[in-house]
Amino acid sequence: MSDAWLHVVVSAIIALPVLCCFVLGVPSWFGARISERVVSTAVAWTFSLTTIAAAFALLALCLRGGAPIEVDLGVWFQVDHYEFRWRLLGDWLSLPFACFASLLTGLIAAFSRRYLHRELGFFRFYLLLALFGAGVQVVVLAGGLDLLFFGWELVGLTSALLIAFFHERPKPVEHGLRAFLTYRVCDIGLLAAAVYMHHFTGSAAFVVAAGESAQTFSGLVPPSVLMESLLVGGLLLWASMGKSAQAPLGGWLPRAMEGPTPSSAIFYGAISIHLGPYLLLRAAPILDVAPGVAASVAVVGGLTAVHATFVGRVQTDIKCVLAYASMTQVGLIFLEIGLGLRWLPLLHILGHAAVRSLEILRSPSLLQDYRHLEQAVGRQVVRSPFRFERLFPVALRPWFYRHALERGYFDTLLRDYLVGGFLRACRWLDRCDRWLTSVIVAGDQDQSKSDEVIR
Amino acid sequence: MIHILPAGAGLLLAGVALHVVRIRDGQAARKIATIGSAAVLLVLATTAAIAAATGAPELDLFGFRAHWDCGEGRDVAPFVDLLVVLLAVGMAPLASHPPRTLSAVLQVGALALLFLAFSEPWVLAVLWALSAAVVARELSASGGSSCVMSRAFRRYQAPSLLLMFVAAALASVAPVAAAVCWLVAICIREAIVPMHGWLPALMAKAPLGLVVVFVGPQLGVHAHVCGVRTLLGVEQVEHLFAVVGAGTALLAAALGLVQKDARRAAAWLIISQTGLVAFGVENASAVGWAGAVLTWQVGAIGTSGFVMTIAALEARRGALSLTKPGGSFARTPRMAVAFLFLGFASVGLPMTIGFVAEDLLVQGSIDEYPQIGLMLIVVTALNGMNIMRCFFALFSGQRDHVGERDLTRLEVVVLTAAMAALLVTGVAPRLVLGPATNTPADTGHTHSRPPSVDGANPDRK
Repeated sequence: MSDAWLHVVVSAIIALPVLCCFVLGVPSWFGARISERVVSTAVAWTFSLTTIAAAFALLALCLRGGAPIEVDLGVWFQVDHYEFRWRLLGDWLSLPFACFASLLTGLIAAFSRRYLHRELGFFRFYLLLALFGAGVQVVVLAGGLDLLFFGWELVGLTSALLIAFFHERPKPVEHGLRAFLTYRVCDIGLLAAAVYMHHFTGSAAFVVAAGESAQTFSGLVPPSVLMESLLVGGLLLWASMGKSAQAPLGGWLPRAMEGPTPSSAIFYGAISIHLGPYLLLRAAPILDVAPGVAASVAVVGGLTAVHATFVGRVQTDIKCVLAYASMTQVGLIFLEIGLGLRWLPLLHILGHAAVRSLEILRSPSLLQDYRHLEQAVGRQVVRSPFRFERLFPVALRPWFYRHALERGYFDTLLRDYLVGGFLRACRWLDRCDRWLTSVIVAGDQDQSKSDEVIR
Repeated sequence: MIHILPAGAGLLLAGVALHVVRIRDGQAARKIATIGSAAVLLVLATTAAIAAATGAPELDLFGFRAHWDCGEGRDVAPFVDLLVVLLAVGMAPLASHPPRTLSAVLQVGALALLFLAFSEPWVLAVLWALSAAVVARELSASGGSSCVMSRAFRRYQAPSLLLMFVAAALASVAPVAAAVCWLVAICIREAIVPMHGWLPALMAKAPLGLVVVFVGPQLGVHAHVCGVRTLLGVEQVEHLFAVVGAGTALLAAALGLVQKDARRAAAWLIISQTGLVAFGVENASAVGWAGAVLTWQVGAIGTSGFVMTIAALEARRGALSLTKPGGSFARTPRMAVAFLFLGFASVGLPMTIGFVAEDLLVQGSIDEYPQIGLMLIVVTALNGMNIMRCFFALFSGQRDHVGERDLTRLEVVVLTAAMAALLVTGVAPRLVLGPATNTPADTGHTHSRPPSVDGANPDRK
């Protein structure tokens, strides 16, 4: 396959979902009613074609001996010496991920046709799914942090909107907002890292480091000063923690299961939750030169894995159990990355994503599955006699149980003290502002005017 | 010196305003005002295209040199102003915008366009005063001269006008004093903290079309470019202004999160965006400067559309509280989409020009202000939270249909124009930034440290 054709194929991985969003979204804006069959078929076919394109690109990568495929789509905008270039990168990290993500999105689109049949927000679900798919492909194929941030934002937005899919009930809306706030706070880290990379090194592009073989992943060029590497690495870790629900920021993940099951499967079982480790794999050269950051990644991952496995054991509904199981596995992936492994985390991501999304998709049929299982084996299925909790001294078990039941007190800490403190300070400032305006506008003579301003 | 295109557009719009005030029927007045604004926009676009294609010569009008362009860095400003006017009249609810108010909206829009046509301090001061006077008169007429919003407006704007005239008088004899007066006047007009109190008070009660057309075009930015940047040149004062702008943006973004009604939340969003622009126009790098100009233009369209969507929703549903979810996305899907799109476009939604503006502003600031650059990122994050919070509160949580209808045909047309402008320029930012001149292809995204403060921006020389 010639380079020109290869560039078309890699570009199509992003272009097709974007085109699908426009083709569905624009007529709908002008009032066209699109049938369920057309919408679901369009999205499923789009991601089928995207999967084929990604598979071709992966095959080409193998034939090239692993040499990364770089596609330069040109300058998006430029001012003075600064330019934003659309540069896509296909390597051993991005193309397997792109292939898997598009395949799973297509499968979810096909699955949801029956699952969401006659649901009020059927069209909205598919439009957001297509937008999410486009965002993921931008994140995965981005040739630098700037473009990655572009897709990262789209994924966050669609995630929050899908959690609040059943918008007539207050809880999904509340949980969607909570997830969005967490994303937004952590996205500060990603954008700041991109900006500081430009400031320190002049570029935020992913490249293969000099002297490395084509079998390694492309990544950021570390700044020459250790403190700068620590800063950028720390910011990227912060961004990853939010997207991948790592402790202590992961309280949004079990709540995010309020969304439709298919979107929970693809977002929180498979793709969105693994974008944090993906970002860290792209930042691996920085982790290599800044052991402090690598250690922090390992500590965060290890703590999250322990925390989530404790908390998951006391959950009473299957989607929460699966959410904490996801969190545990992603914590382990963080730990692997922090320990300097590169290929194992990628395989772990792909394997975990496949298994977990299947589990979440089957979760509404759990009781039926158990019944079928029991019918097949001819006896009642009982829990394994080995209990993890029996490893702990009897005296400590109630403490651990309480700790797990309260989700490690992280939610309380964040909600009541950190966010609550910030909001209380903002309310106090708001009251001061209203009082000051009332004094300027109404003066002391006119109390009623003053009260009106303060209200 | 006169720039013919904004001047001509301003005069045409003033003509439409004079016609609208004579119409009795509110619906007909809104229709005429919308069609008139759209026609002026079309005439402006056609004339600009012809002038650009033919290289129209300079004219001599009563001793003024008349140019066909709109001035360096402001080529799209008249289009942005006209889009704001179009949003303000096309989305205006009939109950709060009778023909007299619509005429006032058009008059303020016309004055904003005329403001873009001149650079002379006295002319700017007069136009500045006229536009504030039109709003003050309309507020008095609609709410009584003693109502809070009217009093707040007059008490804040009067010193601003006074300082503007003092600055015009001192411009030739004491340029630094003039620039400082000018700067304070701009701070009041642009609602920079701590001189911002009039805007939340105004937003709480005033007809939103009037607020949008008064605030959206951000005449203070133009006055800043024409006046302060040419007169001042005192780096410390400029840095102080930038820091105050960034502080305003952060404080307003934080306060927006704790507002209990949609109007006040939108007011703080506007103040925060204004703070970002105020910070950016003092930026020494060409990148940051371009980001500030784009933020100004994106904010004008995005925030105006956002506010006018609130106005349209309020006309259907009554006062809009943010304390609990009170709407249904399924009943007003297009209004919800427009609300979300326009709101997020103003704070950097990917695929819109807002993303470009945010990127340029932050990237351009980081060399000169490494800490404040980080603060800007926090500001955009907080503003995004504010918008999402408003969206969920206004368009979710309600199962029953309370009777509100989705967008009317006129509203769809107007919002489509605004959204298309943000999307098309987002896909092709060169339409507003100009063509790329230097395309090093070796890395994905390159950036060199900006040149020194003296030589960074051609406008500064």
